[in-house]
Amino acid sequence: MTNLEKLNNIFCEVFSVEVSALGAGFDNKSVEGWDSVRQLSLTSSVEDEFDIMLDPEDILEFTSYDNAKKILGKYEIEL
Amino acid sequence: MTIDNLSKVFLDLDKKPKGKVAAIDDSGRSVTYGDICDFAQEFAKQLPQRSLIFILSENCIGSLLGYTAALSNRIVPLIISASTEESLYNHLYELYQPEYLWMPQVKAKGKVVVFSAWDYCLVKTGNQHIPMYDELSLLLPTSGSTGSPKLVRHSYRNIEANADNVRRLFKLDGSEKAMAILPMHYTMGLSVIASHLLAGSTLLLSGRSLLDKGFWATLKEATSFTGVPYSYEILTKMRFTRMDLPNLKVITQGGGKLTEAMWNTLAQYAHDRGKQFVATYGQSECTARMAYLPPELALQKVCSIGIAEPGGQLSIVDDNGNETFEGETQGEMVYRGENVTLGYATCREDLIKGDENHGMMHTGDLARRDADGCYFIIGRLKRFLKIYGLRIGLDEVERMIKTEYKTDCYCKGDDEKLIVLVIDSRLQEVLPNFIEEKTHLFHQRIEVQVVKEILRNEAGKVINQ
Repeated sequence: MTNLEKLNNIFCEVFSVEVSALGAGFDNKSVEGWDSVRQLSLTSSVEDEFDIMLDPEDILEFTSYDNAKKILGKYEIEL
Repeated sequence: MTIDNLSKVFLDLDKKPKGKVAAIDDSGRSVTYGDICDFAQEFAKQLPQRSLIFILSENCIGSLLGYTAALSNRIVPLIISASTEESLYNHLYELYQPEYLWMPQVKAKGKVVVFSAWDYCLVKTGNQHIPMYDELSLLLPTSGSTGSPKLVRHSYRNIEANADNVRRLFKLDGSEKAMAILPMHYTMGLSVIASHLLAGSTLLLSGRSLLDKGFWATLKEATSFTGVPYSYEILTKMRFTRMDLPNLKVITQGGGKLTEAMWNTLAQYAHDRGKQFVATYGQSECTARMAYLPPELALQKVCSIGIAEPGGQLSIVDDNGNETFEGETQGEMVYRGENVTLGYATCREDLIKGDENHGMMHTGDLARRDADGCYFIIGRLKRFLKIYGLRIGLDEVERMIKTEYKTDCYCKGDDEKLIVLVIDSRLQEVLPNFIEEKTHLFHQRIEVQVVKEILRNEAGKVINQ
């Protein structure tokens, strides 16, 4: 599985959506039910999957699919 | 109602300095104690007689003013979340038929709006007046999320007693700035609000997620933070113990049990940084709080709920039915105090009912008391879970599944996870999302297990647990 597929799987599992739903508009404003529980579930899954430890600032910024990709870049995870 | 109470204003709101800020919300706007009193009078003009109102709450000033105005004018609110799932809301509406709604303006399209202020509006529904017990002050759902029609009936004295007990417990005064992030429709959220208003403090009222930058900016101002176990999971994940929060004096927790590891982290943090960590225990049946562990005991009495709060009394009834107030023992914990509510309502006609509890509550929790008089919760007699601090009634979840899918099921679990036993394997996929939609419980905390059959004994009790 590629890193992108791993990330997509995490999003799909947390929000119960198909991969096709993910993209530029997938963020905490437009996705219903995006709350702290889901955001923390996302970041914890990402930490486990990629074996990294996110900085608190990055956990706060984990508010969209696009941001998630950007943040993973900071930790040298190539997508 | 006594003569004394007739002349008394709710939470002595009229006795606070008029210009003192009572609450600031996420919009950055604030209200003073004078504003709250003025608003209550304005509200009374629109709604002159005692009636039943639904408050569709959010943690903002508009919602807060609806609460204080209603309680100041003997208007009886049922407070529910403004984001209550539609079919659950409709069920409550049909059952109780409120005469008025106090709701966010943006949600009131097509309704008869009588009056609006602070992005909230008063809606007249056309429902008939219903007689209510004279001392009835407030209704809250027993379950924050499953939308059970079962409500807790509070008296005026319940609210005042809880506010005063909590004020005394934390020695609250006008200098406090309390982070009020727990939802208003949740008993402990309301307890934070009432106790600090009674003390003349300032509420930092917020509907934000704990993973919102705005929350962290506000927390720097706060002198106290009240959370449920999950709040502290987020806080530690954010490594708040390393942050510089000089104004923060008290961190306090209720709404379920902390893990031992989390407890130790918080107790040690408080000890090292000269702050107070105060674990508390409560139920909506007793107007939120009932017990607390004095902060100086936090490092010794790990995971203890401590002792009865000021104004309350705890005891244990053991297996032989003997009730004791001191000494080592275990059994069902019983509470006595003026914050013990009147009882439940399950339909509109119940609103006329009087006091059924008479100041005494069998908590349904199994507790152990140590030689020093500190209580520890060790189990539960009633069928509910507390996940994210919210009560999930197992009977209610079962009923929802049975109604929707016409199939037998059985719910169990712990405060980490809800487990649903079903026979029909096709439900394994759909149930987590169905339950999430109905209760807002995150689907990753729901596990569906397919079993061959659900075995019941003659009394109907499920035996393949």
